[in-house]
Amino acid sequence: MRPRKSGYLFVAPYVVLLLVAGIYPMGYTLTLALTSFTAHFSGVTNFVKTWQNPTFLPAVGHICLFLVIWLTALVVLVVGLSLMLHSLDHRIGAAYRFLFYLPAALAGSASVMLWLFMLQPGLSPWSFVLNWFGLSTLGAVLAGGHLAAIFAVIAFWSGAGSWIVVMHGALATIPTEVLELAKVDGAGPWRTALTIKLPLIRRWIGYMLIGAFAAGTQLFAEPQLISEATGGVLNQTWSPNQVAYNLSFHLGNFNYAAAVSVDLLAVALLSAVIILRRSGLFALDT
Amino acid sequence: MRGPAGQLLMYGVLTIAGAFFAVPIVWALGEAVGVTAVHWLLNSLMYSGGGVVLAVGLCVPAGYGLATHDFPGRRPLLILTILLMLIPPSALVLPLFLEANAAHLLSSPLALILPYGLFPFGVYLTYLYFHNARFGALLESARIDGCNEWQAFRQVAVPLSLPVSALIVFLNFIASWTNFFLPWVMYWSFDAINRYPLALGIALQLRNSQTTGFYTAGLQLHTSSPPGQVALLVLVSGAPVVVVLVLAQRWIGSGQLGGMFR
Repeated sequence: MRPRKSGYLFVAPYVVLLLVAGIYPMGYTLTLALTSFTAHFSGVTNFVKTWQNPTFLPAVGHICLFLVIWLTALVVLVVGLSLMLHSLDHRIGAAYRFLFYLPAALAGSASVMLWLFMLQPGLSPWSFVLNWFGLSTLGAVLAGGHLAAIFAVIAFWSGAGSWIVVMHGALATIPTEVLELAKVDGAGPWRTALTIKLPLIRRWIGYMLIGAFAAGTQLFAEPQLISEATGGVLNQTWSPNQVAYNLSFHLGNFNYAAAVSVDLLAVALLSAVIILRRSGLFALDT
Repeated sequence: MRGPAGQLLMYGVLTIAGAFFAVPIVWALGEAVGVTAVHWLLNSLMYSGGGVVLAVGLCVPAGYGLATHDFPGRRPLLILTILLMLIPPSALVLPLFLEANAAHLLSSPLALILPYGLFPFGVYLTYLYFHNARFGALLESARIDGCNEWQAFRQVAVPLSLPVSALIVFLNFIASWTNFFLPWVMYWSFDAINRYPLALGIALQLRNSQTTGFYTAGLQLHTSSPPGQVALLVLVSGAPVVVVLVLAQRWIGSGQLGGMFR
């Protein structure tokens, strides 16, 4: 690679869009968060006010519960399924992967719509499971205490497939010699999976966890659509993003909404920095 | 070689033939899901399609430039790109809304297409793709042969970029097609139903849900259309992604991209 100023021309269009649709919105939001309604600098007032808002802390609590369930499911089930698929014949594994990936093809609201049907006793093919839990109406299913788990199920259904594909890529980097040596040494498929494959994809699992964490904190579509399904009576501010959305659209307070948005953005940026520095997954050499 | 008039005639005939074969199927789709839903489908195709074209058009030159040229600010730009690609897109939705609101661009197609076109992951993928000794040697020999920078890009890099471009098309299309939060904030509060992407149209089905008073125990799911039609809409929303998946797989070919995972 030689020093060439023409590089600027190649990256220019991208940089322009980066500024317009990436940097500027973040900067503008930060500015809004730090100023008052009358455009005076107000420091951390907006942040404090929103943290004191009665909907904010419960929303944070909801998201934490959701994250615990979801991330556990991701680590256990995605890694478990990926390891199982990896031990299968190449084409069978590919067929399963395609099947697991299929739900990711649905438009965000389509997944929730589909699951609303899945959760309606009487209509759902899973009715027998719902009845086994003693739930005979949709209202009973959507009771407040269940929501974190329900959203985790929906998010898992839509997202696990993509992560399984990523794990597949990770497992593919394991040199076949290593696996063959293990076989020669007498290790069965379970032992190979647990003691050899698993440690080698550690970095990728870490990346998945942090990435899913950052994405999970942003949860919006699922709770918002459930809220719509109840005629907007319930759960309008279940997740922090909904709180922010509510603040801007229903209360017209963009400064408060910006403050909540900055909170979430900070979490996302922190996660990004952690992945960048700790995972060693990214090629930054010249 | 046929002349321009011949070309035009041929395309004219092909178009008429295409219409003959396709119109009944499109009509059936319209009858099944309703005219508005077809409108939503076309909107989604426009927003996602526009986003994809923008993304590829920006990512490929940018990744190429980062991989093969050294200039001040190159490394910071690369780091910024990686940071941005690790941030969930939903973190930018409210900031984008605030910006679009200030710019009076709400409910305009640009409010969706521009954010969709920003695809730092695509830049990173292209950077990885072009950043190797083999390609560098190829480029050097092009330069020795007298190509200027633009010619080298156009005649060496672009033809070789097909696998990574296909991957970018696929990933970007899925991301924008399934996106809900961004269109929701840009379009929902305006009753511009005809400009909804499909994701919003599906959400609209829930508008007529009711509770019996404040007791949700009696909640039944009421959708604007019968469940069968909603189910069909859900399936239709997934079809284009499957099509893009199948098409993209033809071009991607695991061999060229296998080396990208370290």
